Amino acid sequence: MAFAGSTVHIVCAFSIVEILAVLYRNHLRLGDGTPRAEGRDYLVLSKGHGVMAQYACMRELGWLNDNDIRNYFGNGTILKGLSDAHVPGLEVTSGSLGHGLSVGVGMALGAKRKGSGQRCYAIVGDGEMNEGAVWEAILFAAHFKLDNLTLIVDENGFQAMGATHDILELGDLVQKLTAFGFDSIGVDGHDELRLDHALTRTKELSNGRPKAIVAKTIKGKGVSFMENKNSWHYTRLTKESYADALAEINAARATNGAWSS
Amino acid sequence: MREAFSRCLVQAAKANARLMLLTGDHGYALFDDFRKECGSQYLNAGVAEQNMVGVAAGLAKVGFYPVVYGLSSFVPIRVLEQIKMDLCYEGLSALLIGDGAGVVYSYLGASHQSTEDIAALRSLPNVSIYSPADATEMQWCFSDAIDSRRTCYLRMGKADLGRVHLHEAVSPAPLATPVRVLGEARDEIAFIATGAMVKTAMILAQRWQGVSVWSVPRLKPLNPDEIDRCIAASRKIVTFEEHSIHGGLGAIVAERLAACDAARGATLFSAGIDNRFSELCGSYDYLMDRHGLSAEKLQTRLRAFLGDEDRSI
Repeated sequence: MAFAGSTVHIVCAFSIVEILAVLYRNHLRLGDGTPRAEGRDYLVLSKGHGVMAQYACMRELGWLNDNDIRNYFGNGTILKGLSDAHVPGLEVTSGSLGHGLSVGVGMALGAKRKGSGQRCYAIVGDGEMNEGAVWEAILFAAHFKLDNLTLIVDENGFQAMGATHDILELGDLVQKLTAFGFDSIGVDGHDELRLDHALTRTKELSNGRPKAIVAKTIKGKGVSFMENKNSWHYTRLTKESYADALAEINAARATNGAWSS
Repeated sequence: MREAFSRCLVQAAKANARLMLLTGDHGYALFDDFRKECGSQYLNAGVAEQNMVGVAAGLAKVGFYPVVYGLSSFVPIRVLEQIKMDLCYEGLSALLIGDGAGVVYSYLGASHQSTEDIAALRSLPNVSIYSPADATEMQWCFSDAIDSRRTCYLRMGKADLGRVHLHEAVSPAPLATPVRVLGEARDEIAFIATGAMVKTAMILAQRWQGVSVWSVPRLKPLNPDEIDRCIAASRKIVTFEEHSIHGGLGAIVAERLAACDAARGATLFSAGIDNRFSELCGSYDYLMDRHGLSAEKLQTRLRAFLGDEDRSI
């Protein structure tokens, strides 16, 4: 997809692959399986830059087809470089950072008021945590006791221009979110088993407190020459780097079965 | 007008249990009735307007009808991007209320005044803009907005200037067209006004002969053919708004004049805030006078454009 469309933001997608895989495989209730199913759980990708990872999930679900994926970024196609709610399966239009969490909070609030039992999961980037609106949403979610909301922070340690601690220090996000009234836990965001446990735990606690999972991730995870190399936030794949990346991912798949569904 | 707003809101909330009122910690006494009668549908989102609009969008997505209240300097100005992306782009049904539009908060200074809200929103797709002049227009606008199932912005300006439409029972006007207040479409001079300035236009209309006065309670969408119809016979047109002369009602009419054959030869005087902030403190009337928008100042300003007043009155 990234190669076909000659697009950037590959590494922002790689850091949330396991998070999405575990959510879609084990946690999101998709109702009748259609993108707008009544009673579905909501997955809000607030960090819209990672949307390629979600497109891959949409393809697995059959909501996008191979043609959609092949034509990514092409003229007249619907798949853009950032999350767009007009695409089947995407709940919010994000990319302007600091919007999605608030919308997700509204969805969680609506579900709560309806008593529908629906949950809302919102994936927010650590760079995105610079936005004041994110903290407004966090205050609101805690105040209105939205325990059906799970905030997942993709803590890959980088944002567009460099390391998060060099640009705007975020400190200990687990501590901060706990102080803001969330039940918070830090996990390895590439360890599917631990992610799964953490997500299961968030569903068990109907205690009036919203949940936060701070997922420690690696930007560009899975391709050694991309991992923690922030230049890949903006770098496009060449024929050679595409082949190298694919070879590495396929080799990993063959050895440990990672990313299988 | 504020009582009419409160009545409309309570009525709508009682008719629709999914209506939710969100306020950014403003509107204390305004919502007394609402809180008493529909308390469970009231939500104070705190001094956090960006999140409030995002939450409203989330609520709208899952089947609620959010009414978002703030001062017009915050809703829509502070949250313009949330309105653009979270509401308009998604085509959601919601009502935004911007209170104190224009220079109503005259004593508080530029931070609480807004003379750019119409201009800012006009360039966004998928949003309707209302600017009622009195209680009757408030009712028209409110129900039109709710029925439209679109993202709507209702601008509430100076609200205690009394009635423009004398008969409350006037059936709802089709808001795609300016509403005739005085005179006839065949009059030589057309005054087109919105919001609080409709009253001023009515006062000034008495001082010249052959003036028709039109109120525009809904600025967007506005059928261009209907603007043509109002000004077809007029050679001189004056627009009145408590808003910047850039991008508001004056611009709407100017854009139409530039494009329409029917009004060829007509000239326009656009009365509004002339590209400046209120630097000084003072009463509402004082500031309106400073901005050249009091009836007295406008009478002088219009003399060069319309000729001398009709002394026979």
